[in-house]
Amino acid sequence: MKDRLAAALKQSRADYTEIRVERTWSSAVAFRGRRLETATVSEDQGGFVRVLNKGYGWGITSFTSLAELPQMVTRANELSRAVKLDEPIRLAEAAAQMADAVLDLDGDVRGIALSEKKKLLDRYNSAMLAVSDKIVDTQASYRDEVSEVWYVNSEGAVVYQLRPEVVLSGTAIGRRNGTIEKGLESIGLRKGWNSVQNFESQFGVVARRAVDLLDAPRVRGGAYPVILDNELAGVFIHEAFGHLSEADFVYENPQAREMMTLGRRFGKPVLNVGDNGAASGLRGTLPYDDEGTPTQDTPLIKQGILVGRLHSRETAATLGERPTGNARAISFRHPPIVRMTNTYISPGKKGVGFNELISDIKLGVYACGAFGGQTMLENFSFTAGWGYMIRDGKVAELVKDVVLAGNLFQTLDRIDHIAGDFTWNQMGGGCGKGGQFPLPVTEGAPHVRIEEALIGGDV
Amino acid sequence: MIDRLLETARGKVDGADALWRREERTAVGFEAGRLKAAGVSEEAGLNLRVLARGKMGVAGTTAAQPDAAELISRARSSAELGETVDLAFPNAAAANLPPVPTFFDRTANASLDDLIRMGRLLVERLSRPDCQVNVAVEREVQDTAVGNMAGARGEYRATAIAVTADVTRIAGDDVLMVFDQYVGADLPSDAELEMLVRSVETRLTAALKIVTPPEGALPVVFTPAGLAAVVLPLEQALSGKTVLQGSSPLAGKVGEMLFDQRLSILDDPLTPGRPVSRPVDDECVPSRRNALVEHGTVGRFVYDLETAARAKTESTGNGRRGIFGKPHIGYTNILFQMTDGGRHAGTVPAPADLGGGLIDDIDDGLIVDDLIGVGQGNVISGAFSHPVGLAYRVQRGEVTGRVKDAAVAGNAYDLLKKIGGFGNDGRWLGARWSPSMLLEGVSVARR
Repeated sequence: MKDRLAAALKQSRADYTEIRVERTWSSAVAFRGRRLETATVSEDQGGFVRVLNKGYGWGITSFTSLAELPQMVTRANELSRAVKLDEPIRLAEAAAQMADAVLDLDGDVRGIALSEKKKLLDRYNSAMLAVSDKIVDTQASYRDEVSEVWYVNSEGAVVYQLRPEVVLSGTAIGRRNGTIEKGLESIGLRKGWNSVQNFESQFGVVARRAVDLLDAPRVRGGAYPVILDNELAGVFIHEAFGHLSEADFVYENPQAREMMTLGRRFGKPVLNVGDNGAASGLRGTLPYDDEGTPTQDTPLIKQGILVGRLHSRETAATLGERPTGNARAISFRHPPIVRMTNTYISPGKKGVGFNELISDIKLGVYACGAFGGQTMLENFSFTAGWGYMIRDGKVAELVKDVVLAGNLFQTLDRIDHIAGDFTWNQMGGGCGKGGQFPLPVTEGAPHVRIEEALIGGDV
Repeated sequence: MIDRLLETARGKVDGADALWRREERTAVGFEAGRLKAAGVSEEAGLNLRVLARGKMGVAGTTAAQPDAAELISRARSSAELGETVDLAFPNAAAANLPPVPTFFDRTANASLDDLIRMGRLLVERLSRPDCQVNVAVEREVQDTAVGNMAGARGEYRATAIAVTADVTRIAGDDVLMVFDQYVGADLPSDAELEMLVRSVETRLTAALKIVTPPEGALPVVFTPAGLAAVVLPLEQALSGKTVLQGSSPLAGKVGEMLFDQRLSILDDPLTPGRPVSRPVDDECVPSRRNALVEHGTVGRFVYDLETAARAKTESTGNGRRGIFGKPHIGYTNILFQMTDGGRHAGTVPAPADLGGGLIDDIDDGLIVDDLIGVGQGNVISGAFSHPVGLAYRVQRGEVTGRVKDAAVAGNAYDLLKKIGGFGNDGRWLGARWSPSMLLEGVSVARR
């Protein structure tokens, strides 16, 4: 394959050319209720070419027919030359990498029979269904893949990566008459078969929660002190801040650059945030990004102050900063854009636990688990899976429909306590941006307290 | 391709159907007002479903020269683990396909320069010194062939074009984002592009002033874009799948009037000029219109072949499949209409004020144009709660400015029992058509 790519590069007449070829082996099993939905094995493959010429813009081709590679290189060059630019696109300097990065397959999923995967998921699905006759429906899915990615560019980079991934998810639907509630578990890892064993109890827990929520009242709307559990705190930092640290939101926009000036205070000194694509075994982990740049641990907020952002080679060049290994594409069908990898809030003082965060809250909300989150940069949502009221320093009754409304400048600055109990979330799902979904990412955080946050609901 | 595959499968399996699809997309992107990229993508794939000893299995491939024997063998392995299902593949006699225009030469033949010109026109019309304007123009030409071992065949070509404008205005720490999109099977006329410009400008101009949000149970006008959170639960609950699984609150309610009696919901694959319109679904079932809700009364649920077989009913022509998974239920064009209110699907909607003429009698309330996090809660329950992405305060019948840091919540099934009014601003957003709707008693919380 490398020879084939080298030959295609050689034939390119463009000033800069990069080629990415992917071959992905995957298998998937899904249950809905007691029925098996599907059990399939698939192979997907294709290529991506991107070229740049002085005075012209990007020319891009993607294709499933690899036999067409030479023609697609020519076509990309023609497309580039159709895009005249006054101000040239520059790419930040990067040492051309030559590497084979083979991640630990941790029990190669390609060697496990599909029937074994069905059996495993059947156990987890049954664990949800066994909880109560009020569980009327479930969705359980298992998906694994082993992806081979070849990347070459005309600056001499030749990178081969072998990336495994495995994702389990379970949704339990509880129902009593017109009331319907759900519990959600999901696990996503850049690992293999060995890492998805023994999750029965977690699947049981989410089904139990769906049943419990049938009796829970909706949370009343309003502003409260809020404690986020590790999972929701992770989603929070991804939405609240992670997306705004992606330099493609700011690099072409002078007002945005001013708003996001390095050195600006965004939080109290307790707040430290970063993004680490080089962390081991997490879903957002990758040795090299899709421009061949090695990933790294990038500090974004240190002691409340903005210190960094996430870059592709293009955004880094425009802002005079260094590439951070955050140019990612969900597949050969898409160009790389600036994305997060594994985004985290650093733990607070060792030994500081949940009790220290809750003890002086008279009336508040403990928001747990995550159904998701979305951002419009300044304003964002993060949707908890469930919550509890906090009354007089103690966890009180279960409440449902807990959706938080965040504001970048107010909510981050109101984080006043961070516990020492850091965990990585390791959720499945993924992040969506620019039509590219789902991108594997992970978030990590300890328990986090926000002095005051808005929660939607009846007032 | 399909014929050869199905012929090879004969004798190896009891029944089979297949879909072959080829897509070619051409896209140009303007970033911060500058044309920066042009791209082409080509993709072709084949999806096969088989019935073997009564069990169903699927397999797909994007290989350039698919190996029919290998694909069949993979689908059979999938079936060995599969469930028994009494699938009735439509036969050739059923394949009398309704005519619907899906392919427009103008779209297919538009040159790269034509696409660039369209994008540039939008950039020029929308550019303002305080705003970043991103525009994308994407054209797709799609060939689809479906067939089954019972002899049914369907084939069509389709075109689609999407012109997207994203305007971001940052002033100090205030971030305002306004988005709009033209989507059609035919190229937009100048008038349609002009509508897009005016839609963005109207919402941008009214948003420049920021006002305090109100609080309480209030009248709220949901624009066609803002309605997403309210209509999503219905779309889930009207799917035959959720009905079968026992998770749809509308199960068993066919014939009951559960919504405002002026509300009708139609799934219509035969609307001319829409990119998802089609003469046949992805399982060889001829397309037809389905009235999901008629005059407030639950009419029918949508099914694909498998869910129809399990529910002992017939497919509504809502089978949809990708290259790798098994067919599933999908809506085509879904229309939320006021039953007595004029025609839908006009090519150029009437230019409308914010709120579609519904705000005159509102003493204090909101116009909601965009909510954040739609689809991420416990959707099918009908409960929604979202921060506003773009919303305006209405006081004494006038838009007074944009509100921030507010959240709206309610239950879709309850709110749609009584609709305060349907706007005069009906339009397409992707594959959904609706006017604005005025809903009463929506909870608005603020900090």
